[in-house]
Amino acid sequence: MADPIIQVKNVSKIFGGLTAVNQVDLEVPEKYIYSIIGPNGAGKTTLFNCISGFYIPEQGEILFYGDPIQGLSTNLVAWLGISRTYQNIRLFSNLTAVENILIGLHPNLKTNWLDAIIHTKRFQKEEGGSIKEALRLLDYVGLKGYGDFLAKNLPYGLQRRLEIGRALANQPKLLLLDEPTAGMNMNETAEATHFIKRLRDELGITIILIEHDMKVVMGISDRISVLDYGTKIAEGNAAEIQANPRVIEAYLGPGGAALSEKYKKQRLNYAQSQ
Amino acid sequence: MNKNLVSPSLRRGLTFGIVMIIFVLIDLDVMVATMLSKLFGANVIRGGLPDVRFMVLFLTLFGMFVGWSASSNDVKPTTKLFQALIAGLTLGVVIGLFDLILNQLIVTGTDVRTYLAALAPGSIRLFLFDKGAISPLLHLGLFTVASLLGSLMKILLKSEIASRLFTSVISGYRGLQTKVQANTPDWIKKYGKFLLFLIFGLMAFFLPRVWGSYNNYVVGLVGLYVILGIGLNIIVGLSGQLMLGFAAFFAMGAYSVALLNAPLPHGIMLGFWPSLLIGILMAVVAAVLLGLPVMGMRGDYLAIVTLGFGEIIRILLKSDLLTSFTGGPRGIQDIKGPTLFGQSFSSDIDYTYIILVVMVLAIFIYKRLERSRTGRAWLAIKEDTKVAQATGVNIMTNKLLALCLGAAFAGLAGGIFAARNQFTGPNDHQLMVSMNILSILIVGGVNSIPGIILGAFTLKGLPEILREIENYRLLVFGGLLVFMMLSRPEGLWPATRPNIEKDEGSKQKGDAAPGEGGPNG
Repeated sequence: MADPIIQVKNVSKIFGGLTAVNQVDLEVPEKYIYSIIGPNGAGKTTLFNCISGFYIPEQGEILFYGDPIQGLSTNLVAWLGISRTYQNIRLFSNLTAVENILIGLHPNLKTNWLDAIIHTKRFQKEEGGSIKEALRLLDYVGLKGYGDFLAKNLPYGLQRRLEIGRALANQPKLLLLDEPTAGMNMNETAEATHFIKRLRDELGITIILIEHDMKVVMGISDRISVLDYGTKIAEGNAAEIQANPRVIEAYLGPGGAALSEKYKKQRLNYAQSQ
Repeated sequence: MNKNLVSPSLRRGLTFGIVMIIFVLIDLDVMVATMLSKLFGANVIRGGLPDVRFMVLFLTLFGMFVGWSASSNDVKPTTKLFQALIAGLTLGVVIGLFDLILNQLIVTGTDVRTYLAALAPGSIRLFLFDKGAISPLLHLGLFTVASLLGSLMKILLKSEIASRLFTSVISGYRGLQTKVQANTPDWIKKYGKFLLFLIFGLMAFFLPRVWGSYNNYVVGLVGLYVILGIGLNIIVGLSGQLMLGFAAFFAMGAYSVALLNAPLPHGIMLGFWPSLLIGILMAVVAAVLLGLPVMGMRGDYLAIVTLGFGEIIRILLKSDLLTSFTGGPRGIQDIKGPTLFGQSFSSDIDYTYIILVVMVLAIFIYKRLERSRTGRAWLAIKEDTKVAQATGVNIMTNKLLALCLGAAFAGLAGGIFAARNQFTGPNDHQLMVSMNILSILIVGGVNSIPGIILGAFTLKGLPEILREIENYRLLVFGGLLVFMMLSRPEGLWPATRPNIEKDEGSKQKGDAAPGEGGPNG
């Protein structure tokens, strides 16, 4: 196994009396596509929020390249190279697509407001460069020609792509994608899956993915963790997870494993009789 | 006829009847009639009443408006007329009943001015056309006919012929425009912008010398409010912090100049320019002191805290405790004006120059900030603070920076304001000033420089020019705001986002074909 880029050690997040994330351990090697699955309310997004700095976990440690990052504010986490997208798209909706990506570039730029007023050499160079970079990224995520649209006026699928584009502008080492194919049809989902793979293969970004679409998860994940009621109940590759009775139980309820076996047999019989 | 047709028209007539009654109760009818008569060149002495013809004209216009609005859009012309008839009759009946009461007042000689200060017998007579008991009938007839007229006008203007006429005029204009563009010589295209600036510059230089001190005063006031508007826009429009105590920063600038450059109470006489700088600095310091504790607040909470801050500053300036330091409620008089190269530079013309130069500078700085990393960070914070931070924007420093820069503009405007008036006191820095500046942004258009200029002119310039409506300023103001919110919620001149992709595309095309109209080609 390659070096872990991020380690989540024994992390718990408690809201009042509810333990949303309960002593979870994760270890994501570099350049992996790592999926986190689980039923609704299992604590997946809460875990994301802990990693990206939105929440401070009550317990445990989150190590990025071996350095603890829990409790850092979100802008510092972003600056370190962790970008994310959101389950319900959160773009800067009254700004154009290019501007959204330009804001994503923010942590890499250095000029300040005085440079901007005086238009120093440094500013002109950086501003020109960042616009070029933003347009390149726009092209990369497949939004060429949509750059001057307000984000809120883009079709849904493109909004998802723009969100990824904004996350990429930060030149992240780790990318957290929260349900990137939610609400997409089959074609769009296939495209998005391919795109996520490209991100890893071409840019070498490690990706942690929350996803409900099992086809996507099983298709691209190098490794999968399953959360249920805030606890990690299983970890492994696609085949291992599919065979794990606890996972099936988590999704289908108690006795689910037996049920699943029954249906599998039925399907098999049906297929044979055909 | 169908009930769905009658009852909205009835309601409309009733509503406008009540509106008219309110107009009469606050004497607005007489004011409008007076303005109309002035429009036609009649000379009305102050406090006098206009000719009865103009009251008839006003009521006719009102009735026409009711008829226009009562006739629905997608119905047959006859139906429109019917709707207008119902609305006009209802209006007439409502006003007629009201007339009976008014007439009774006149007949019995009751003076209601104790309760309704505006309702003078003369005004009532004018409204009744001085015809006594038959005036209800006159009003009924007038409103019915006017309403039908209004409906007729709508039918005509919205008809096929009218729309065809309209489109042909528009297309003719478009054609002319392209023709003009095609025939424009290259040198105008290239240097047209500079030429325009030159013309504006020359106008700004010569006009203040020609058009008299009153116009200079009005232009200066509008200019100051443009500067204030830009300052507040950085805080509210760009970084999204709702600030209701902006006048406090204005006061910082004004009082700094006043205290450092007036004979009383301290007699420091530091000179205008250094005290102006100190004023800006003081405003920034105040912004930091206010900003640090409230950075985490948002929306309503921030609004309330800043509102409180504004009031605290004003009350402090007014307090007896600080009278020896700030001059107390009576303010500070005899503030010395600026000098330039040893010459006094403080005539009304000079102030207009100063204000215009500062205004242009403010616009310039604003434009450059808006199209920069900082400006985009502000906009991102305004759109979604949490996501902006998770995208790597430092919320704290950027919000504080916006507050400080905005405050600096306010301090600057305040310093010039105090010196120009040669006086400043607590009443110059009331809550209403903050509200006015915010209204400029809302009416003109947030984040839009032309919008802010338009807003400043509408809200500060027009009331100065239309002194007649002084008593109704707040009414017009409120009405305008409601109307704006309904019809143009983004302001008179809404902001647009830059087309970065398109611009960059055309720039690259230019790069690809060098020597083809480039500056050195």
